[in-house]
Amino acid sequence: MTACAVSFSGVEKTYKRPRLLGAEYHTAVKDLSFEIPAGEITGLLGLNGAGKTTIMKLITGLLFPTAGQVRVFGQPPSDVAAKARVGFLPELPYFPPQVKPADALEYYGRLSGLSGAELSRAVESSMKKTGLEPHAGKRISEFSKGMLQRLGLGQALLHKPDLLVLDEPVSGLDPLAIHDIRALLAGLNAEGCAIFLSSHSISEVEKLASRVLLMVSGKLAAAVTRAQWESAPGGLEKIFVEAVK
Amino acid sequence: MRNLLIIRAVAFNSFVESVRNRFFTLFAVFAFTAVYASVLAGVMAVDQEARVLADFGLALIELTALAYSLFAASSTLLREAETKTIYLVFSRPVPRWAYLAGKLCGALLTAGLMLVVMAAMHLSLLAFRGFGLPAFYAWALAGTFLKLAVIISFAFFVSLFSTSAVSTLVIASIMWTLGHFASEARFLAERAPGIQGAVLTAFLWLIPNLQLFNARDAAGAASPLGLAVLFPAAAWVAASCLGALWLLSRKEF
Repeated sequence: MTACAVSFSGVEKTYKRPRLLGAEYHTAVKDLSFEIPAGEITGLLGLNGAGKTTIMKLITGLLFPTAGQVRVFGQPPSDVAAKARVGFLPELPYFPPQVKPADALEYYGRLSGLSGAELSRAVESSMKKTGLEPHAGKRISEFSKGMLQRLGLGQALLHKPDLLVLDEPVSGLDPLAIHDIRALLAGLNAEGCAIFLSSHSISEVEKLASRVLLMVSGKLAAAVTRAQWESAPGGLEKIFVEAVK
Repeated sequence: MRNLLIIRAVAFNSFVESVRNRFFTLFAVFAFTAVYASVLAGVMAVDQEARVLADFGLALIELTALAYSLFAASSTLLREAETKTIYLVFSRPVPRWAYLAGKLCGALLTAGLMLVVMAAMHLSLLAFRGFGLPAFYAWALAGTFLKLAVIISFAFFVSLFSTSAVSTLVIASIMWTLGHFASEARFLAERAPGIQGAVLTAFLWLIPNLQLFNARDAAGAASPLGLAVLFPAAAWVAASCLGALWLLSRKEF
């Protein structure tokens, strides 16, 4: 396994919005260089519009960098081999309301290249890990936000990825669901899966991550390790507030 | 092999979603009503009842299938982008061409099912009126299916650069209409003077000649369609798909 799961080297992403006359440009991230080590949990903190989601989409190949280079396990993110090793949970994932969770998972499992008994095992394992087994008979339209988030996590786990990219994984969840998802992520990390998660909740990132990237206005303001924030007075929250002010 | 399984998964998912969509039910009800109306028109036609019943029914089948197919093809890619379902697809090892091929197969399966169901209704109504299978009926359905394939793939292409499903629907409908006047338009373009004529003639090559697929137009001919029409249909579908793939491979989500 490569020691580095993700590397950004001088990455810039500028969005172009066509207007009636010409176009409007907005630079979401600029001159961004960092690495996400394999097997570790790395957090991403920043205010709204700091570029967190853009970074996640660049890693998953949904966006292409305007400048610089992104590598996922040494490959371009759009490479099939790189994508096969990544699981992605976007913010507020959508699933067709009329189907049952196992049906939705089966579809995404097939897209990940699973079939037959391997697919059945993967679906069963994802349902079990995310605590969806008791709700297997329900349609997705009956799901709460927390259950949808669990299902979103389930689809990301299907193909046993080496890297999980999670955009706001505990946003809007009740405390019990947050506790369960935190335990699940800690368990996956213990099995060797690298996790890269963004959140608005400093305490959540603080509990899980061994290193945190602080984004301010599209730039990397600081990369803070657990040892650094644990030894600093005021902890990660104070470091974050000082960085964004 | 792996990519074939992905195409099959996308196609089946797209087909099931279309069939579950309430609009499909709506169109099925509409189709039944429309085909029943053709029976009423047939009764009024007196001596030509069988012909009017067959032609009117086939025309309504084509229009109904066209309306639903265009609605589905115009909205499917935009809806997946809006609901962010596309994130879950393209963050996986799914080649964009395989996704597009799956979506096209799903749309064609839906169109094929609609044609079969409506044709069954139509033939039942004809049998109820005491008429047998009209001449070239299967050819007429095959021609309609080819037209739908051409226009669905064109709608996919347009949906990748248009800003809304409605604009895609309008542009594709205009193309469908122009396609039925392709011969007349070429005739006029050939008679236009100088550069104007050359530009018009060149532009008309971009418009599919949908008249080629009208089996009932050639009812007096020995063979109404012939396998040769598969080639222009395949060429137009391939051109639209290549254009759509070029746009999709550059598209960010």
